[in-house]
Amino acid sequence: MNYLNYKKGWCFLGIILLLSSCVNLKHVNDFSSSSLNSIRKFEEINYGFHQNCMENCFEMKMGELNFTSTDCNCSLNEKADSINLLIYNTIKGYLIGLSNLSNNDLTSYKINPLSNALMEHNSNLLTLEKSQVDAYTTISTILLKSFTDEFRKKKIKEYVITANEPLKILINYLDFNLSANLIGKLDIQRQRIQSYYFDLLQDKTLSSHEKRNIIGEYYQQIIQLENRKSVLLSYSKILKKINIGHQKLVDAFNTLSKEEIKAQFTQYSSDMEDIISEFNKIKKDK
Amino acid sequence: MNNLTPQQVNELANYFSAISSKIGDYRIQQFSHLTPQQNEEIKEKQNLILNYADEMYTLSATLILDDVKTSLQAISNVSNQIIGTYKSLKNIQKAIDVATSVVTLGAAITSKNPQAITNSVSNLVAIWSEK
Repeated sequence: MNYLNYKKGWCFLGIILLLSSCVNLKHVNDFSSSSLNSIRKFEEINYGFHQNCMENCFEMKMGELNFTSTDCNCSLNEKADSINLLIYNTIKGYLIGLSNLSNNDLTSYKINPLSNALMEHNSNLLTLEKSQVDAYTTISTILLKSFTDEFRKKKIKEYVITANEPLKILINYLDFNLSANLIGKLDIQRQRIQSYYFDLLQDKTLSSHEKRNIIGEYYQQIIQLENRKSVLLSYSKILKKINIGHQKLVDAFNTLSKEEIKAQFTQYSSDMEDIISEFNKIKKDK
Repeated sequence: MNNLTPQQVNELANYFSAISSKIGDYRIQQFSHLTPQQNEEIKEKQNLILNYADEMYTLSATLILDDVKTSLQAISNVSNQIIGTYKSLKNIQKAIDVATSVVTLGAAITSKNPQAITNSVSNLVAIWSEK
């Protein structure tokens, strides 16, 4: 009877494995972990609408030789930053959840302590042989993992498909705010700086040395602006890549073969690493 | 302005920015041919256009909120469901740990060892209280 139950267990396991989809949880975990590490670079940008507004405000006050007031009306810029932060945190929360749910350790249940407790406390009521306990521990562990992994995969598939369209929208709008609107404001700032320093240089009382200092200061500011622009453009690439990767995940659940999935996600990880290296280099050069 | 989409406002901002850039370049190139009053007037006009463009970029950034509300809610809902599933799967290990503690407690009681009983009860309570 014990042998028959044991054999039934292995047959059942075989059927489950046969019916499994090509996407395994490792693909999901690799994607979500990689995307999570990448999207967190948002916290390293260290620049936003409010800072841009304050800098422009102080530059204008400098031009007017106004040191009496530090009031700057930047409330709308603060709102823009808070909207970006809200979108970022929502996307991050989803990726953290996906990463946790697809982590292999989640369903690596420890049954041995229970088996050991049963063995240790053999009584007259329940007599167990070690070989039986070992056999049932092994099959229980595998069956439990298979059931829970299949349950997880089914759930993750539902979540990923449901989240795909709204996630695309959020990522596209965050990208739009950073790479279209904030970079647009950087260009406005560049024009203001150009106009300000041009006027400074028209002072005929300046020596050549003083003029060179002014020009040096001007280029320092331009370099800083360009660097900020590069950081934002690099982050934009990260966002676009995450969108593509998530779509690939949805496609993988539906149609792709195991080899295609492996190739696509290997490429995704490699591309993402390149973009992160570029981002880190730009930040380092700042 | 509120009937325009964020993308349309951004596009307007781009046009204003491009125009002000041309005006700025013109002022710099023609500086020596301009009177001080003409120079001041062109500079003032450029500043006004720059301010409008700047405000439009900021406005565009805030207008997206209406467009993303539904998506924010959708992703939050999915994230909450994921947390629920995660907790359910974590609870399986908790159930195994509780079963282990109950077996150990049963053995401690039948062995009539007071210290063993105390330890087993504490362990069971600790596991049950874990989130």
